Amino acid sequence: MRAPDETTIKAGQTLLSVQNVSLSFGGVKAIRDVSFDIKKGEIRAIIGPNGAGKTSMLNVINGFYHPQEGEITFKGVKRKKMRPHDAATGGIARTFQNVALFRSMTTLDNIMAGRTLRMNKNFFWQLLRYGPAEREEIEHRRKVEEIIDFLEIQHIRRVPVGRLPYGLQKRVELGRALAMEPELLLLDEPMAGMNLEEKEDMCRYVIDVNNHYGTTIALIEHDMGVVMDLANRVVVLDYGQKIADGTPDEVKSNQAVIDAYLGVAH
Amino acid sequence: MFYREAGQFKTNYRADMAVFPISQDRIGIAIILIVAFGVIPFTASDFMLHAIMIPFLIFSLATIGLNILTGYTGLLSLGTGAFMGVGAYSCYKLATNFPEVHIIIWIVVSGFFSAAVGILFGLPSLRIKGFYLAVATLAAQFFLSWCFIRIPWLVNYNVSNAIEVQRRSLFGIPVTGPEAQPVTRYLIVLSIVVVMTWLASNLVRGRIGRMWMAVRDMDIAAELMGIRLLNTKLLAFAVSSFYCGVAGAMLVFLYYGSAEATAFSINQSFAILSMVIIGGLGSLVGSFMGAALIFTLPILLPQLMGSLGLPIQSATAEHITFMVVGALIVFFLIVEPHGLARLWQIAKQKLRVWPYPY
Repeated sequence: MRAPDETTIKAGQTLLSVQNVSLSFGGVKAIRDVSFDIKKGEIRAIIGPNGAGKTSMLNVINGFYHPQEGEITFKGVKRKKMRPHDAATGGIARTFQNVALFRSMTTLDNIMAGRTLRMNKNFFWQLLRYGPAEREEIEHRRKVEEIIDFLEIQHIRRVPVGRLPYGLQKRVELGRALAMEPELLLLDEPMAGMNLEEKEDMCRYVIDVNNHYGTTIALIEHDMGVVMDLANRVVVLDYGQKIADGTPDEVKSNQAVIDAYLGVAH
Repeated sequence: MFYREAGQFKTNYRADMAVFPISQDRIGIAIILIVAFGVIPFTASDFMLHAIMIPFLIFSLATIGLNILTGYTGLLSLGTGAFMGVGAYSCYKLATNFPEVHIIIWIVVSGFFSAAVGILFGLPSLRIKGFYLAVATLAAQFFLSWCFIRIPWLVNYNVSNAIEVQRRSLFGIPVTGPEAQPVTRYLIVLSIVVVMTWLASNLVRGRIGRMWMAVRDMDIAAELMGIRLLNTKLLAFAVSSFYCGVAGAMLVFLYYGSAEATAFSINQSFAILSMVIIGGLGSLVGSFMGAALIFTLPILLPQLMGSLGLPIQSATAEHITFMVVGALIVFFLIVEPHGLARLWQIAKQKLRVWPYPY
């Protein structure tokens, strides 16, 4: 699954890089001079204590916040300001910390909505819903059903997502993001509030997405066990600053990280 | 027992995505259409056609229009009456300036004028939501009402300051004006409403409908999925106003016969909004139900009381009607805040499992 683009980036090359990004809200500095990169095909974790600026970082990456300083290079294109729409067309999809599904729509419609950008039959075909518009709808329905099969949510296809339990909602949200066939998938705490079994399921889906579709994944997660198992590389933020970057083992033994999580004696 | 989808298997997505996937529904809608086109025109009295069926259908169309905006896209509007007025006045201008083009074409075309005005007054919707947007559309309502009253050009400098519908014919049969028979007008209104309802159902089930609902349910997520908020909202305003405009034009040309600006006042907006809410937000079937309850009931109730032979004066009957309709609205809202459409769904669900509780 890959977005139709001119510049194809091979596995292992830098897909997205963040250079010296600073973001502040009034006097509050959420992110201070952070740089890191995400390589194609890897699972990159962003961790850090509460309020470290992880979610802000994701919001910067997909264009929801505009950093005051710094640049973001995505697929070789450098930009200072990225609009959410451009990020979406460029192939960045995300899920949210507090599930942001379309609550009154069914699972099927939610995931179909994820394919909006890939559907292009104009208003008048839509009005008639005949010929091209109908064929397009069927073709995308097929893709959506693949995702539904992949995530094993066939039984809730026609249920409005507002009625689903939390764990399933998270799964549907992952499905909606996958429907965009993203190149870079941002997951904001995909395992938050889940029990052990649900977490294990979710981990398996994340790994499967990475293996099966080759999607690059950047995830924020608080469960260190999950992070250490899933991630190829980890970047650690604290008070908006990057304090460590490397493989899980390197990060685990880093003194600054231990201090940030456990505190230091003064 | 009779309403059950058991045994109706779908082997392709096309069948699965049909408007009425269950065959009983298809039979039901076919019966309704046959009755509406084939039975009612020949059996119903002129009173029934003129005073009940024609306005019911027209208000249903206006309700669908507002439902697209408020129910599907989640943008509250109090300007429905004005948008209907734009349709009516532009239809009048077009019909009098270009009498050689047929009136039915102008009725549909006047929707585009309404859509343009709708887009203009929809522009604030990117910045403001909910009650604040309602106030912004209220401004549209008052401004346009003022235009209808104060700009005599709109009514071709008539002394009466009202739209006066002239006689126009289709194949030699008068369709507008005083000579037009209720049956003819009914059939025209019915055809337009059926076609436009079908088109609306296509829209709301497809990509555009999903975009509208996505914006309604969670606009941030919609934006991050690449849905342009302003375009989507303006499209909703345009389509909604188009429907309201056509309804307004039909209201004057195929029902009232002549109309002053008061026909498109704020009261009209509130009436349509209450039809949307009672019928069910985000439901096309609900739009018809809401229009039926709010519009038709006050007319049918006195008739009913009359036919029962109750010895009451007409003034008393009117008061009783108000009380009964008011009580019914409160009753329905308490029983099911999501409107009649939801009650209908629940009823269907119960029928599906009948005679077992679940």
